[in-house]
Amino acid sequence: SLKGSLLLLLLMSSLLLSRSVESLPICPSGAVNCQVSLSDLFDRAVMLSHYIHSLSSEMFNEFDERYAQGRGFITKAINSCHTSSLSTPEDKEQAQQIHHEDLLNLVLGVLRSWNEPLYHLVTEVRSMQEAPDTILLKAMEIEEQNKRLLEGMEKIVGQVHPGDRENEVYSVWSGLPSLQMADEDTRLFAFYNLLHCLRRDSHKIDNYLKLLKCR
Amino acid sequence: MKENVTSATAFLLLLFLHTTLLNGQSAPGKPKIEKCRSPEKETFTCWWKPGSDGGIPTNYTLFYRKEGESLTHECPDYKTGGPNSCYFNKKHTSIWMVYIIWVNATNQMGRSMSEPRYVDVTYIVEPDPPLNLTLEVKQPEDGKPYLWLKWSPPVLVDVRSGWLTLQYELRLKPEKAAEWETHFAGQQTQFKIFSLYLGQKYLVEVRCKPDHGSWSQWSPESSILIPSDIKMKDTTVWIFVAVLSSVVCLIIVWTMALKGYSMITCLLPPVPGPKIKGFDTHLLEKGKSEELLSALGCQGFPPTSDCEDFLVEFLEVDDSEDQQLMPTHEKDHPIQSMKPTHLDPDSDFGRGSCDSPSLLSEKCEEPRVPPPTFTIPEVSEKPDDPGTKITLNWDPKSINLEGKITYFNAIGSKSSTWPIPQQSSNHTLRSSYHNIADICKVALGTVNVPAVSLKKEENHALNYSATIDAVGEETTEKQKELEHFHSKANQEKTWLLPNEKMPFMSPRPMDYVEIHKVNKDGALSLLPKQKESNANTERASTPDTSKEYAKVSRVIDNNILVLMQDPRAQATVTFEEPAKETPQPLQRNQAEKNLSYCTSPPGDCRLQTGGLDYLDPTCFMHSFN
Repeated sequence: SLKGSLLLLLLMSSLLLSRSVESLPICPSGAVNCQVSLSDLFDRAVMLSHYIHSLSSEMFNEFDERYAQGRGFITKAINSCHTSSLSTPEDKEQAQQIHHEDLLNLVLGVLRSWNEPLYHLVTEVRSMQEAPDTILLKAMEIEEQNKRLLEGMEKIVGQVHPGDRENEVYSVWSGLPSLQMADEDTRLFAFYNLLHCLRRDSHKIDNYLKLLKCR
Repeated sequence: MKENVTSATAFLLLLFLHTTLLNGQSAPGKPKIEKCRSPEKETFTCWWKPGSDGGIPTNYTLFYRKEGESLTHECPDYKTGGPNSCYFNKKHTSIWMVYIIWVNATNQMGRSMSEPRYVDVTYIVEPDPPLNLTLEVKQPEDGKPYLWLKWSPPVLVDVRSGWLTLQYELRLKPEKAAEWETHFAGQQTQFKIFSLYLGQKYLVEVRCKPDHGSWSQWSPESSILIPSDIKMKDTTVWIFVAVLSSVVCLIIVWTMALKGYSMITCLLPPVPGPKIKGFDTHLLEKGKSEELLSALGCQGFPPTSDCEDFLVEFLEVDDSEDQQLMPTHEKDHPIQSMKPTHLDPDSDFGRGSCDSPSLLSEKCEEPRVPPPTFTIPEVSEKPDDPGTKITLNWDPKSINLEGKITYFNAIGSKSSTWPIPQQSSNHTLRSSYHNIADICKVALGTVNVPAVSLKKEENHALNYSATIDAVGEETTEKQKELEHFHSKANQEKTWLLPNEKMPFMSPRPMDYVEIHKVNKDGALSLLPKQKESNANTERASTPDTSKEYAKVSRVIDNNILVLMQDPRAQATVTFEEPAKETPQPLQRNQAEKNLSYCTSPPGDCRLQTGGLDYLDPTCFMHSFN
């Protein structure tokens, strides 16, 4: 049933974004001179980010229902995301004021920051004693799509701001030890925290991209 | 005195307490934050539900703390959201940040605090319903009429900048209908409805949802009356077309039903039934020889030239006196009581046919299989008199069972498919006889009976021949021979039968059947071996050599089997025969009456060969060529 809901999610997300995505030109893989328009690139990026956030949201809700009930994890998951070091706008005004290039870089930073945690998330979820398939599937999917989104974003940045490949800013994640703790409570909280932060950051990315798209 | 004061004080205290309690004043109950909502992801409001207020006015205050900060703030706006609410304006709202909110209830008697609620504005977005829903019935000239809906997003939501992305959903129903018809409209702010009932009043509502949030409430109803005079041109045309095509279909179906069978027959000719090339076991069992023979009436018989190779059979005649003859001569009896006789393994009876790629060779391996018990196919009445026990088709002919070569002609077949038993002096051509008998029988029977029946049914023919044995025998010896023959035949079964076991192959000694003469009817008259002793002596000379096998060179006149001496056979033997045979004419003549004639070779040849086991092919060549 979770696969079904995953499928539904996919459908929904594609439905949702199908409006903005008319006909994406298909660049055969490996083609060097394939030029996709910026708006098409953005459309694709938005599609991906929307999808990723939907998955994260579902994953978090599922985990919360299943493992975190009555444990008061939320009280502890305050100010514990590793990406908080990146100064992201916190409301609409701030987001609109920021320059689009900086916003793009910000998005890239967040995306990069999540590469490693996602990888470990997948490994650790797999080794959980109850090994929830649905959560694992979603985690794997998110990891996959995140990579794609990163590629897309880098392409966009390449088009918008070519040649500006300076510092690749991203936050380092250090939560791996807590994910691997023997103590179940600590371990579960570590998962909870990670999923909570993932949900939030994926929403941020989605929002920023939608803002950028309309600019 | 003191006691009075004490008791009074106590009483007063009690009274005071009592009155207090009766008043119901107490500390306030615990409030609870019910709902927090943001209409556009820029501001949000939280509502709480007070607990019991303790009877006295209670003051509620809301405090919050932001994630990452340590300061506690109080609610900036208690009014905008209505009673028991707190409104956070844009300045105080931060997205992607968790708010920890709680409510304090204070009154004279005490205070209480609600449970803290963790709120992230990102996930509490619930917009207002869409506005300005307009309905219009459009009727383009070159198309179908439809209902056109239009609406606009709620005021507060900023869709232009992409801060929020809205999706819409609408529902409509005729006024009197019970259920709504829901349509998802995506991100567009207009919609067309085509499936309409004319003359009805429709009610429409629309709502929206942010990309990651909750659905708004349904907008207020809009209604519209669909005029009933809309032309639905296409419909009538389509109805007409549908009716016409259905009529045509009906006609076609009706025609098919009437003539269906003939059509099907034309298209799909019926599959012809299987041609029975041989005897039908079933028929044989029932003893209906006519049917059997008719079943055997294969067009292919006699086999065509390419079958010749298959049907070259060589009879190895083996005479063994040791074989026990059946005591009874009843038709059925010998057949059933036949026991497998000892077969000389060295006899290469039928070997030739085994080696040859003939159909008959198939059964080479089973020489010893006892004949299946079956009744002799009672083609015709069974003669009661054993003497006249020419069974069935044999009636016109009596088969000389004195096992020499039986000359038979395949009915209508020209090819020498019949394995013609070669005459070995000492070989009893039992099976061969039987086979011949079968063939004779077949020949006698219906015209188209394939003498070379490749089936097991041929065995039945053998049985048949057994009867013939009985019939033709006048002497016990004959009978015995016949029995023997018969038994042999049974064992060998259908050496004649192409696909049957080759009796030839069985190494048993066979008796020769002497061909008495060939009847004009195409019956082969066979003489049982007259002078066995002689034959034996004769044959003893060539005990184990492969006997010559008569080869059917061809069939002439549809009923004459031209036998040819096997090239392997010793030529001398051939010549011996005539000499041997001559002393037996008398006997033959005697038996002649009772013999059935299978074939009718030319008279002169007949007479010359007399009791020859085989026919000199040259004779026939002369006569037939």
